Amino acid sequence: MINIKNLSYTVDNLKLFENANIQIPQNHLTIMVGPNGVGKTTLLKIIAGIIKPQMGEILVNNKDLFYLPQRIKYPQGITLQEYIESSFYKQNWKWFLTKEEKDKVNEMLNILELTDKKYTLIDNLSSGELQKANIALGLISEAHILLLDEPTSNMDLINQIKILNMIKKLTQTGITCIIVLHDINLSSNYGDYFLGLSKEGKIISGSKKDFISPDILKKIFGINFKVINNEEDIHIQICN
Amino acid sequence: MNKFKKISIIIILLIILFFSLYLAMYAGYKDFGINMLCKAFNISEDTESIILTVLRYPRALKALIAGCCLALAGMFMQSVSKNPLAEPYITGISSGAGLGIVLSILFFNSSNYSLFGFIGALISSAIVIIFSGLSKFSITKLILIGLSINIFVSSLISLIILINPLKSYMMMLILSGGVTNNEVISNKALIIIFIILMLITALFIPKLNYLRLDSDLLSTDKNRRYLYTIVIIILASLLTSLSVFSAGILGFVGIIAPQISRMLFGQDYRWLYVSNILLGSSFILISDYIARTIIYPLQVPLGLVIAFIGAPIFVFFLIKKGDIFSD
Repeated sequence: MINIKNLSYTVDNLKLFENANIQIPQNHLTIMVGPNGVGKTTLLKIIAGIIKPQMGEILVNNKDLFYLPQRIKYPQGITLQEYIESSFYKQNWKWFLTKEEKDKVNEMLNILELTDKKYTLIDNLSSGELQKANIALGLISEAHILLLDEPTSNMDLINQIKILNMIKKLTQTGITCIIVLHDINLSSNYGDYFLGLSKEGKIISGSKKDFISPDILKKIFGINFKVINNEEDIHIQICN
Repeated sequence: MNKFKKISIIIILLIILFFSLYLAMYAGYKDFGINMLCKAFNISEDTESIILTVLRYPRALKALIAGCCLALAGMFMQSVSKNPLAEPYITGISSGAGLGIVLSILFFNSSNYSLFGFIGALISSAIVIIFSGLSKFSITKLILIGLSINIFVSSLISLIILINPLKSYMMMLILSGGVTNNEVISNKALIIIFIILMLITALFIPKLNYLRLDSDLLSTDKNRRYLYTIVIIILASLLTSLSVFSAGILGFVGIIAPQISRMLFGQDYRWLYVSNILLGSSFILISDYIARTIIYPLQVPLGLVIAFIGAPIFVFFLIKKGDIFSD
């Protein structure tokens, strides 16, 4: 459970959040939606502890967080395997990885369906594959909370679905995921819990049933939506 | 790139190092030839032995140490700043160490200048880091502040030399760079400090493999990242001051050796460590050989030779393998 109490954050005289109270459930996929510039990334960074808010407190059960920013730079001239191995050099002083650590990397590559790209230079990987590699770094760091800022940006539809399926699967293994997503239809199909950030600085949260409704979506995006809900699938249309 | 290929490159670099060691010690105006190698183990009182032990060996030792230290310091600074231009000379750390030594020559008559060099290097790197960390930290600012400190301190050294003509010769040696016997530090002390420093350095090499990940990705692990970064910058300053003791202020080596190594080995710092040691030391050994033989009996300043052979080699590598720098 992540518990945010009385959060206020102002940047350059612009109030992003004022007295916000949010509870994010454990072991579920929470999706953050909202227009550009309302502070989705800021909220993720506040949860990750990278930004200190002016007011309020953030209570996180498990401190092992992994934060994946929107854009990152990759070291050149190393293979995918070496890239993932990097995080094992964090603590101990040895020059070579142990067999268990190597096995763990292989297992991770297997889970993420990257085994055949093991020896490919990361300069030659697609953005979807790189994103998977980054998620692997998060999993290897044994984080229990993954904070992913637009993990599916720049991806084709099939890869978006693959990544989301994988994230969804992770939540069933005891990992809490909070992600930012722009595609409202994909969000409604994958998310368990939702955070909606509106231009007025309001944070609306709720489970899928409560959240995906024309009223709430209008409050967040300021335009009219039509929600078609047929038992399993939810379709959202924009009516403008 | 597979392991076999990497090992073969290391072997080639090793052969180059042995060849340059041979050139530095046994070739030159007084050419000893390969069958005189046994002189190394059989020192007697004849002229050849004296030339070897008094002139050639210390000189080769200093060139080797300077090369190793500069290449590794450059590698360290480039890895933490993620900027290919970061290098002890450009960022003013070399001149900081130089100033420390020059001041100690000025005020003390003892032959123990090492401490002041270290202090000078540490102060100048601290100033660079603190100034670039004030307000908002940026790498570009670090390079530019380093550059300003370099120019400022180098001018200060020139001024000190100008107004102290009595001690100017030794100071000039520090400023212009060269591995002639400058008596700033004894050979034994140099070897001991060098070995200790290399061992500590080796300990931190795997950390560079961790720090190669994007710094934003490590932001939840900020404290550890800062700690490693600070330790690595301190190590770079120590390496730099050691190089200034042995060969004065030399530029460029700290860029070309690490960058050529990166083009050869990618970004696994365990390979880069070995490669930088081999490349950096061979480079200065060969340059020094050329410096003392090309217009014998005159000696060309070492910095000049480094520029003359370094620049073409570097540009050649950039054309051949420079695509690793494309963004």
